[in-house]
Amino acid sequence: MAVDRRKVAIFSAAFVLRLVLVCLFPSLPDLLTGRVEVSTPVNSFKRLQEGLFLYTRNVSPYDGGVFHQVGESHAMQLRGFSINSIVQQAPLLLPLFALLPDVKSNPLPSAIFYFIVDLVNAHALANISASGQSVQSRLHSAIRKHIRWDGGSVAAWFLFNPFTIATCLARSTSVFTTTAILFAVSNAVSGNSINAMLALGLASYLSLYPALLFVPVVLLCYDQRAPKLPKIAAFIIQNASILLGSVAGLLGLSYLITGNFWEFMSATYGFHLLVPDLTPNVGLWWYFFIEMFDSFREFFLGVFWLHLASYVGGLTARLHRQPLFVITSLLGVFALFKPYPSISDASLYFAFLPLYRHTFPFMRYTFFAIAAILYASLLGPAFYHLWIYAGSGNANFFYAITLVWSLGLSILLADSIFAVLRDEWEQDHPEARGSEVKQV
Amino acid sequence: MTTFSLFSFLLTLAVALWGSNVLALSDYHEQLFLQPLPQSSLLASFNFRGNTSQQSFDNQHFRYFPRALGQILQHAHTKELHLRFSTGRWDAESWGSRPWNGSKEGGTGVELWAWINAADDEEAFARWITLTQSLSGLFCASLNFVDSTRTTRPVVSFEPTGDHSKTDGLHLLHGILPGEVVCTENLTPFLKLLPCKGKAGISSLFDGHKLFDAAWQSMSVDMRPVCPPGGECLVQIEQTVDMVLDIERSKRPRANPIPRPVPNEQLVCDTSKQYNSEDTCYPLEKMTETGWSLTEVFGRSLQGVCPLAETDSEQSVCLRVPHERSVFTSEGASEIKQDDGYTRCFKLDPEQPFDLAVHEQQMNTKVPLEEPILHAERTIVGHGQERGGMRIIFGNPSETTAVDFIYFESLPWFLRPYIHTLQATITGRNGVRQEIPASDLVTETFFRPAIDRERGSQLELALSVPAASTVTLTYDFEKAILRYTEYPPDANRGFNVAPAVIRILNSPDSSPVYIRSTSLLLPLPTPDFSMPYNVIILTSTVIALGFGTVFNLLVRRIVSVDEAAALGAHTLKGRILSKLVMLRDILRPKATKVE
Repeated sequence: MAVDRRKVAIFSAAFVLRLVLVCLFPSLPDLLTGRVEVSTPVNSFKRLQEGLFLYTRNVSPYDGGVFHQVGESHAMQLRGFSINSIVQQAPLLLPLFALLPDVKSNPLPSAIFYFIVDLVNAHALANISASGQSVQSRLHSAIRKHIRWDGGSVAAWFLFNPFTIATCLARSTSVFTTTAILFAVSNAVSGNSINAMLALGLASYLSLYPALLFVPVVLLCYDQRAPKLPKIAAFIIQNASILLGSVAGLLGLSYLITGNFWEFMSATYGFHLLVPDLTPNVGLWWYFFIEMFDSFREFFLGVFWLHLASYVGGLTARLHRQPLFVITSLLGVFALFKPYPSISDASLYFAFLPLYRHTFPFMRYTFFAIAAILYASLLGPAFYHLWIYAGSGNANFFYAITLVWSLGLSILLADSIFAVLRDEWEQDHPEARGSEVKQV
Repeated sequence: MTTFSLFSFLLTLAVALWGSNVLALSDYHEQLFLQPLPQSSLLASFNFRGNTSQQSFDNQHFRYFPRALGQILQHAHTKELHLRFSTGRWDAESWGSRPWNGSKEGGTGVELWAWINAADDEEAFARWITLTQSLSGLFCASLNFVDSTRTTRPVVSFEPTGDHSKTDGLHLLHGILPGEVVCTENLTPFLKLLPCKGKAGISSLFDGHKLFDAAWQSMSVDMRPVCPPGGECLVQIEQTVDMVLDIERSKRPRANPIPRPVPNEQLVCDTSKQYNSEDTCYPLEKMTETGWSLTEVFGRSLQGVCPLAETDSEQSVCLRVPHERSVFTSEGASEIKQDDGYTRCFKLDPEQPFDLAVHEQQMNTKVPLEEPILHAERTIVGHGQERGGMRIIFGNPSETTAVDFIYFESLPWFLRPYIHTLQATITGRNGVRQEIPASDLVTETFFRPAIDRERGSQLELALSVPAASTVTLTYDFEKAILRYTEYPPDANRGFNVAPAVIRILNSPDSSPVYIRSTSLLLPLPTPDFSMPYNVIILTSTVIALGFGTVFNLLVRRIVSVDEAAALGAHTLKGRILSKLVMLRDILRPKATKVE
């Protein structure tokens, strides 16, 4: 009961903190919504608002070109379709947000909705932590089990992370992808493969890239249910069909909402895949594709996507005994190498890292990685200001900072993988515990 | 103030002349209208109109209709065409309402709209591209750059002015090039379309140096079918050139164009100023009307009458100054004064060159100027290269009637408007600002959102501005960052945004009234153009570093340091190393022994 009380305290403190921030600084949410580090073209709340505005006014019962005038009231005639190059979010978010009151006149309900989503995320994270999958699974049992944080601490680490708070206040739609991923994982650790696949289907529907998590999530489910399920191939096929079915169902629903399948497909997934909008963000793609020669653009798009996908195979093969860690590392890879990363992706990776508290002693470059990340987080906004507003710097200033950020994250990623590999090695070689190691 | 306005006059004159000749099978008219405007400016409005019957047009029998244009129009299935070349800005504050009520005017640069006969949108667009490419060649303008991103399909902003038998197959397409610099190379093909090609008649006054030196100028070409009731259908081409010349500037001799200070003895000083002395002067405004003549202002005289024009009833040059002003003309021309007290027209001698001169004169009466129905201006607000806002101010000078109009703007795709942020404020004569929901003023919205690199956004608002008030509309937009090859060479100058077009719906005499705002300059964020190789190398290095470290960890085995040494001994590298160590051991001990 004591643990529960602590969790309640943490959750309410997080809620109150967010509420206080919104009430004390009413302009803060809009400020954060405009920041490129938080809002990318695919998760910007302002773009969602524009889409919502168009969606709710698409009143014409007729198709396309017929004009429909409604007396004195404000009739809006959309020629073409509401999904356009401003709105890249998945169509199902539009009716969801249409239920909330207007943000301009009444911002609090939607803000509180986001706070609750954050708390739900933290709850799912606490469940994942409580399952103990990170230290003890079917094929793996960490030696230093006792060094670990409980669910409350992991949730607190997530809820009080400034990156999470900024994402929540900016009302970025990647929060929903985070929720779907966390639900998929928390269902997978309890062996509930159908729910996990449905949640993963939602995540993939919202942002496409979570589909790459399919293999480790299935392995995680399989680990829970292995004694009853001898055949892994059949299990994978069964889950793949559930995933495909859920994605197809969601796409079908979107089709019902939008009425034009290919237009929303190309506006949302085509947008993720082809990266036409080069608005600055914390990732590596935007400046590369601004400066890329036209004839090589498609080639490098292919290379970048292949590169992103290549980690799935490598990590799953080597770390197949710890699928939860494969998921963690892949989230780190996504935060680094996906086309439109924002700090919300980094915050999700940072949320999973404390599950591996027992491997922290093996990490070698923590100071360097954390220093680089802090340096980039502090200097990034300053350099962006110098480029865009002051005019005393150029694009290279912000670009250089995104390189430092990526470098810091990649060091952290590699270091955590090393620590887990080292931990696995100690489990296999209990006699060599604590000795110096080398990789050959 | 009840005034018989200059522009209504212009229109009625044109309509009356047209009406008297409308039944003729084919005819050609030309007319020059001159009016001095405040601040020593001179409005010169040239109008050329040719008709040909629909039948001879279809059979390619061209007489007054230019063959070059006619064949292009037939090839592109264009039923009605409007082409505009404009530079400068019409100063409505001092010059009043616009010539032809703005209906013969274009936005800064080149503007083109046409009704094209086609089965569907795609065919219409293909024909539109044919049309723009051909016109680009004909007029030496960059009209071939009117691609899908610069083409819009306005819904309510334009109405066909011709009589079309069936409108269902017609598609309206509109394109605008705000950055196009209009110059003499556009004038020459324009003159070649005229029957007298600038050799005789009023078109002989055109001199590129003077025309494009004007404070404001607009050239237009309009083609439309006209079906008079009971008569045969005609195809009509109307070309106009309107310009406002600065008289002082135009009078400077071409050989010596540098402006020089007025000599001391010609200065009129304000002697009431305390500092007025031998060498200090506060110059007084001239109280007299500036004197000028056609040869001074246009640099050449009018070469008689175009022999193709039907001149029997026509007075091809008209001047609008008070009747008390003395006007001198060259011999052979006769002056006819109109009853309105301001207008006089001249009948020219077809054989002789014509010149017209007015001298500097103190005037008691002034030609009244008509107040524009609506004042409109548009600016970009906000700072920084990331986002900004558009602010459009509409002022209704009337004390009694509201103005209903359509506001149309086509925005380039890299300017991303957020229509949900559209806000309106209204300011009355008492100066109190009041924020009101935009939907109170906007009765209809037509919005077509942009698609990156495919089409721009198109916004049409039907608005109503109440009497004696000023309405300010604002909305936010975001500026896209482009690929480095998409920037022009002068990337930091900014990108041109096309002027907005305002069509007033409740004009007094129900003729079309148009107002165009100025074009805007939009600065976009720029990357470093010298960096492509560096960026490719640096980004690839960081990615390789991440990929390399992770896969290095994944593919290699972890062993303890002791084991590593033992393992190393078996490999080829290990064996070579051990041999080297042995060799060193053989050499070293000897050296130490020597010591």
